[in-house]
Parts: sequence; structure tokens; C-alpha cells
Amino acid sequence: MAVRFPSLDFFKALQQRTLDDKARFEKLGYCDTTFGVRIGPELYAIAFEVYECTGVRLASDMGELDFVLEAPPALWREMVASILANKGADAAHSLNTLSHVGDRMKLVSTDAEGNDKFYRFMASLQEFFDQAHHLEVTL
Amino acid sequence: MSYIAPKDYAADPEIVAKILRTVSGQLELDWMKRVGEPAAFRPSQPSRGLTLDDINQGGYGPDKLPEVIRHNFSMAPRGALLPPGLPSLGYRVNRKSDVWADVAPQLFEEAKSRRWAPARDVPWAALDTPSHDANREAALRQLATGLISIGLVSCDVAASWEWRMNQEFHEIKYLLCAQMFDAARISEAFRKRALYGGGSLGVDSRALGELLKSIFLSETYPEASASMNLMLFSWVQALGRHWAASASNPADSYLGAQLAQDATRFVTYGVGHVRNHLAARPVQLERIADHLEQCENALVGTLGAPEMVEPLVFLSGGFEPVAAFYARTADEYFRRCAAAGLGDRRDASPLSPFLRMLQGDAR
Repeated sequence: MAVRFPSLDFFKALQQRTLDDKARFEKLGYCDTTFGVRIGPELYAIAFEVYECTGVRLASDMGELDFVLEAPPALWREMVASILANKGADAAHSLNTLSHVGDRMKLVSTDAEGNDKFYRFMASLQEFFDQAHHLEVTL
Repeated sequence: MSYIAPKDYAADPEIVAKILRTVSGQLELDWMKRVGEPAAFRPSQPSRGLTLDDINQGGYGPDKLPEVIRHNFSMAPRGALLPPGLPSLGYRVNRKSDVWADVAPQLFEEAKSRRWAPARDVPWAALDTPSHDANREAALRQLATGLISIGLVSCDVAASWEWRMNQEFHEIKYLLCAQMFDAARISEAFRKRALYGGGSLGVDSRALGELLKSIFLSETYPEASASMNLMLFSWVQALGRHWAASASNPADSYLGAQLAQDATRFVTYGVGHVRNHLAARPVQLERIADHLEQCENALVGTLGAPEMVEPLVFLSGGFEPVAAFYARTADEYFRRCAAAGLGDRRDASPLSPFLRMLQGDAR
């Protein structure tokens, strides 16, 4: 069944992928963070514990999140399109590149340690988004 | 001269008699009658397994450790019963706030869980068709040469303090061993990157050597930790991100991302450690700040050295993106300093005028 991007259903489907492809996430190691994805007006909160995504929900308070990745909807769509086309983000569309070069995606946090959780768990978070290539996504 | 035990055990009549009694079946079993605090520790999260935090309870945990350790200078593990006469191992770092960070046990577990092996995990064959020109390849090999030195000296820094720390701080000693392994892997991975497929090492950098020496010869462990974990690895992390973001092939993407991840564990411990240190001993603020100022001065030399900045220009497609990269990295570093209790270092740091000069030039 197709899921629309962006939507809560999209992130719920990715959450399920962390169980369906458990071995891949275990190989990447512990990942303990609750972070946000802001797409236009919507803020999605995504919780990771040990190896898996343990919850996704709509949020309103950024204060409870370690960090938030913020980008215009068009850029998020471009990233997901790259993941679908290449079975994973290409170098130009990885979370690292988008948030590092030219500030196209903003990494926002209220404290430095929360901010650093993005860098500490970057490979797991990238894999979370890359799992979208297993889904039927409507952009 | 090597240490000589105070007894000639093989010839001591009392010890020989005891051994003979044991051999004949007369067991004393004193060790069985005197056991440490009973425990019933289990994994709090089965999928994570049994962690240090799971077993750090009661007398086995670090919470009841005094600020200054005076009761145990031996090799006895924390929580064990201490018979009289244990030899002192001469530990010199015996103050909890000089080493401790609450996040350290978690970072130790994380370092093992997020391990990777350069030999097989890096898709080396992608470098056979690296999708970039010879200048860019030379720039990457030059930066890799610097990272090899950084990895090796970081091993040395952790090693030079680990054996001086009291055994009661075993979580920190474990973490320093993990840091040694992480730093060795940085050195290994980037040596392989530089030499893969007809490659070569670049030119060693005197400025980088001065920076690493400033850190290696720190007078105290808190100074070493602030300058290595908090300062140096803020820049190593950023270099990893820049390497990955500039990558034109999966091998370099992977190497850069792993470098950033591994470096962030150093940074996270550094922030937690310095904050804990300064909360317990605010009087140390001036000393740490002064040491950081000296190391930041050496960092300016490194960031401005042709062996560093010129390869970054090739990698980034010009000087302006390098200036922006430096400014952003400094901003994150200053935020971490503030989180560690060092206040706003922007005005005091030699990095600030250097960055202003670069930004002027970039415009």
C-alpha cells in the first residue's frame, strides 16, 4: 500500500522497517535519541532506543527533542526521491551533506549535547530514511 | 629498576606450609566466607544486554565514591573486599571530578556497539573509480596524512593518562581504552585510504605537530581532556562531516561519516567531563581556559597551514566554503565550551580574530 510523503504514516512505515530489517540496524549499533523532523509546518518526533525506532508522533514542543532537522518540503521531497531512485540517498542528498553544505537543511537544537546526538548516530538515522526505498511512496 | 615483591614467596616457610596444607586437602576457605555486597543485576533492556549502568548499583556503583580516593591505591576492583597490605600501584589521578562524566559508561558501551572494521566495512573497490580528479585525490591523501597523526597521538594521550588513574574509576579507564581503539582505527582507516591503489602519504605538518604536542604535554588530565576531547575532536568531527559531504564515491562517504560518528564520542565525553570538573572545582576554570587558549593558538596554526587549508580548498571548490566550514565548526565548538561550563569563549579565543580575517578574505 502506498504511503504519502510527508505524513505520519510514512514515518510509521519507516518505524516498522527498523523491525523488518533488524539485522541492519543492529550492525550499526546502539542509537538512543528522540529527534524531530520539521517539514513545513509539521513537526514529527521520532524516538530511537537501542537498535530500533520505538515511536513516531506529531509533536509541538521542540524542547523535548534532542535536535530537529528542518528543511522546506521541497528539499525533503528531493531527498526522498533520491532515496527511491538510488536505493538510498546519494552523497548529495544524505542528511550529512544537506545539513553541512550551504545550510539547506538546518540542524536545530536547544543544547550542544542534543545537537551532537545527530552526529553520534548519523549512520543509523541515515539508514532509517534510506529504508524508504522498500516502501511505495507517493511524493 | 623493575619492582621487586617484598617477599621471596618460594622460600617463605609460612607460605610453603599453607600450600602444603591446601595440597593435603585442608582448605581454609576464608575467601568464601568473606564476599562482597550481594547483587542481583540483570539487563534493564534485554536487547541492549547487560551494561555497566545495569551493574553500577549499591557499593558497586560510582555514586558513593568520595571526591578524593584515599582508601584504595591498589589493583583491587571497586566493590571487592580489601585485605590489609595490598600494594599501592602509585596512581596519581585520584580525584573523581578530575575524570568523571556520567555519560562515560554509556559511551564505552556505545563505542563497542557501533564498532566497524576498516578492512571490510569500507567499500574500498569504489576508489578504483573515485569519480574525482588527481588534484582532489592528492588533497584527500594530504588530509588523510594529518588524520593518521591525529589518531596516533590521540592514542598516546589516552594511554598516557589511563595507567595513572585510580582503579576505582574503572569506567573511565575502560572508556580511555575504547578511545585508544577508536583513535587507532582512525589512524588505520586513513592510512589505508591514503595508500589504497597506488596512493601515497602526503607531507607531515609542523603546525599540526605543534598542536598535538600542546595536547600531549598537558599538565593535568582535565587539561588534556579539554584540549583533546572537547577542542581537537570538535574539529576532527567536522572534518569527518566535510570529508563525507565532499565525497564523490561510497568509500569516502563511509569513511567521513564513520570519522564524524567516532569523533563525537570523544566530544561528548569531553563536554560531560569538563562540566563535571568545573562544577566540582570552579577554581579550575581559569586554568582550563588558559590551556585551551594556548591550544587554540596552535589550532589556528594548523587551520592556517598550507598542508591543511589548501587541500580543503580543493575539496570544497574554493576558499569561501572553507571559511564557512571553519566558522561553523568554531561556532559549534564554542557552544560545546559553554555547555561544559567554560562560558562564552568567543572573545578570549585566538580562533575568533583568525576567523574574522578569513571571512574578510573570503569576501
